[in-house]
Amino acid sequence: MSEPFRRTPEGIALDLPETLRTWLADQAKEAAADAVRVDGPVHRRLLGPINPADDHDDPVSELQRQFEVEGSLGVLIATAHTDLLSDEEAEDWIRAFQLMLAATAARLSILSDDDVAGLDEEAATTVTTFQAGISLMIDALDG
Amino acid sequence: MDGTDTGQFSDTDTLQRLDSPWDVVLWNDPVSLISLVVRVLRKLFSYDLATAERLTMSVHNDGKAIVWSGEKEKASAYCVALHGYALAATIQPSA
Repeated sequence: MSEPFRRTPEGIALDLPETLRTWLADQAKEAAADAVRVDGPVHRRLLGPINPADDHDDPVSELQRQFEVEGSLGVLIATAHTDLLSDEEAEDWIRAFQLMLAATAARLSILSDDDVAGLDEEAATTVTTFQAGISLMIDALDG
Repeated sequence: MDGTDTGQFSDTDTLQRLDSPWDVVLWNDPVSLISLVVRVLRKLFSYDLATAERLTMSVHNDGKAIVWSGEKEKASAYCVALHGYALAATIQPSA
């Protein structure tokens, strides 16, 4: 298989199987949905207060953060089946990979290296897929 | 105001609190890649590679590190930007 993300004069070319594109879009939709479930672990991880002394951020800051989370995940969902990303869209993919990774860690209560080592095969594959996506996209963008 | 101590913050106290520096604290998490954290610190704070790597290894080894200090509004903005990359960051008054 060729490089999944490759720098071209027009932007970042994507070479991913359709099944992986669909899976990524589904994961992004799930992370976006979980992020706004206020009593859930994903919400606490992605949108918890920036000042631990407060129960929650001020409403403007809360909205801004929710907008950013939904924005990056939304870009991945909207461009999951395209062949070419702009640099800005590729940066959103990095953010989206990170958000999906953090959402997965929150759902699985991954708090330590031991927790990572103890993951079952499917969960471990999910984590390493997101990590590989981040690493490969950074290489394509900055390399 | 008559200068009587009411037990609440005076205007001066409030101004001092607003002017006091705040820290941006970055917390370790077991799934974020070191290379990603270094890149984000360089991108957001314009740190050179050595500074970004030193701070990232402090986070990794010590569980947390203060990655920036300054006025509260800017600290909040940096913290929100770190959260945009799903990095666990908080703000706190500087010690």
